[in-house]
Amino acid sequence: MGERTEQAITLSLPSSMQHVYLLTAVVTEILKETDFDEDTQERINLAAIEAGTNAIENDDREGPGEQITFQLMLTENELSLSTLEESEALKYKETETAQVIMLSLPSSMQHVYLLDVVVSEVLKEVGFTEETQEQINLAAIEAGTNAIKHGNKEDPRKRATIQFILDDDKLTIVIQDEGEGFTRQEVADPLDPENLLKSSGRGLFLMEACMDAVTYEAKGTIIKMVKYKAELEPQ
Amino acid sequence: MQVNIRHKGSITILDIEGKVIGADTLALKSIIDQQIQAANNAAENEEKLNLILNLERVQMMDSSGLGVLVASYTTIRRNDGRVVLLNLGGNVRSLIVMAKLMTIFDCYNTEAEAIGHFL
Repeated sequence: MGERTEQAITLSLPSSMQHVYLLTAVVTEILKETDFDEDTQERINLAAIEAGTNAIENDDREGPGEQITFQLMLTENELSLSTLEESEALKYKETETAQVIMLSLPSSMQHVYLLDVVVSEVLKEVGFTEETQEQINLAAIEAGTNAIKHGNKEDPRKRATIQFILDDDKLTIVIQDEGEGFTRQEVADPLDPENLLKSSGRGLFLMEACMDAVTYEAKGTIIKMVKYKAELEPQ
Repeated sequence: MQVNIRHKGSITILDIEGKVIGADTLALKSIIDQQIQAANNAAENEEKLNLILNLERVQMMDSSGLGVLVASYTTIRRNDGRVVLLNLGGNVRSLIVMAKLMTIFDCYNTEAEAIGHFL
């Protein structure tokens, strides 16, 4: 069990074998950023699966509702994987049966791909239509990009944290940054004719258009987005 | 994301492939800016940039990617050039529709039609 390292990527999962593939997906994506050749990447990936499986099997807390948190650290020629004691992943969980997956990233635009990989994998577990999956994926990318770029101003010492909370009736995504926050009402309407040709400012609008509910908490440093499963969508 | 650059006469075609999100939106902007710069610098060249952005193989685009398309449109127009979009997939099309930009961009379904725009 290690200590949290500033530059590390952390991934918190329900402590069950069913979720090891998420760790694999993240490791695969991180390895793409390295100079390791394909064979080496495959071997590292296998080792990561073994380590992840091992950590879950040996985790005393294994069982429904328990979390395991992996810390991935990439330096010039080394990828290290460790587990962390604490988990902050349960704060927004409303029901006992909900499953939480949390990704925490240093604020670099390069890491948006890791978020994309995790959201794509998470969406495979939930029964949304392909079109709805694309909408949720886009909303998550927008929220993550916002947190990294506008919230944390791409300061790698500041973290963007994204939680996916899977309930029977809905998927909730909570994005938190360490920036100064903002007031939603003060953000210009990108559909206003005078803003149509601006090169930015559409992120929040798209998040709200793609999700069923978007709320802003803690001065906008926490954004909570909900998508209901189709048969349960409010009329 | 991968971008292949082709030239057909005075027309430049960018075949864009993959996900235009995150840091790749900056990469795309830089590629398009280079094309604008090259057209402006071309010696004895009265012709401005005629650009086709082929989006057929774009799996996903976020608002930053859309912002690059808009910025390209305004910069190229300002330099008396023209830009058209080719082969909008479902998700890029819905992004452009949601942002109410369908009336801004000229969009074509075949390369021949897109090339015809400049003739």
